[in-house]
Amino acid sequence: MRSDVRDRLRSWLGDDLGVVDGLSERELANLYEALTAARHRQATAIAAASEEALRQMPAPVRVGVGKILGF
Amino acid sequence: MAPELTSRAELVKLARALGTTTDDVTFAASLPTRDLRRLRRRVVGALYDEHRTAFRRVAAITRTLPVALNVRIALRAFSPLLAARVAGEMSPDRAAELANRMPVEYLAEACVHLDPRRAGPLVRAIDPGRVLAVVTELIDRGDFVTLGRMMDAATDRMLADLATTISDDALLRIGCYAESDARLTRAVAALPAERLRAIAHTALNGPPDLRAAGLSLLARLDDEHLRERLAGYAVEELSRETMT
Repeated sequence: MRSDVRDRLRSWLGDDLGVVDGLSERELANLYEALTAARHRQATAIAAASEEALRQMPAPVRVGVGKILGF
Repeated sequence: MAPELTSRAELVKLARALGTTTDDVTFAASLPTRDLRRLRRRVVGALYDEHRTAFRRVAAITRTLPVALNVRIALRAFSPLLAARVAGEMSPDRAAELANRMPVEYLAEACVHLDPRRAGPLVRAIDPGRVLAVVTELIDRGDFVTLGRMMDAATDRMLADLATTISDDALLRIGCYAESDARLTRAVAALPAERLRAIAHTALNGPPDLRAAGLSLLARLDDEHLRERLAGYAVEELSRETMT
């Protein structure tokens, strides 16, 4: 088990989550994969929804709102 | 059997949180239910917290605009996903003002994306009739996971109204995904004896998943007297079936 995977999971889910220590290396790797994919999917969905939202806004406010959203 | 059913429901909820299927979360199947629930809650927290800063900024802008204009902008430009995430960063009363003017279908979809940690004060501030309409819409969609989450957010009055309004089938399925045993117990305790008998009948005469939901409900009630009563109705129902 790469310790960086365990560390990354701890940083995402909290140091005090003992559950991470209770999983086997393979299970931890699968959790890491699932969470990474979920973060990616979420970022993509939010970016797409934000772009669509910006498209619906009048041009003068689009740039400002885009900056606020940070996407 | 009962802990397995509860774990199964937790795996479904974990899969939902991760936006994947239950087959993809079997890595957590070995965990005890309590750990599974803790893991799921942390996953939910991590995902919802990731983009909070941007949504907080949008929520700040909405404070400067009149409610009617916010509603118009949201419905025109924001998907229910975005609206839900922004609503999670608004004051519950303000978000509820907007929600009270939005279509039920839009709200139902937004509910799916609402941060469960912030849903309580918001749901409690929305017009109860509107909440009931959203619940009905989610039942029509078969989204019992979201409904189970909402159960925790509802007021006692809402719970009592909902429990008496929705079908036995829906109530059993929502119960499977309820976050809190205590809230589930409260909802069931508000039901009259005839309704509890009907629920036992529906569970025992339904498809296997509904029978499992009935067992899960029984196991999750944290009031021993209520559990015994419901179990008694189930025994009555079984005896009636045996006699006929």
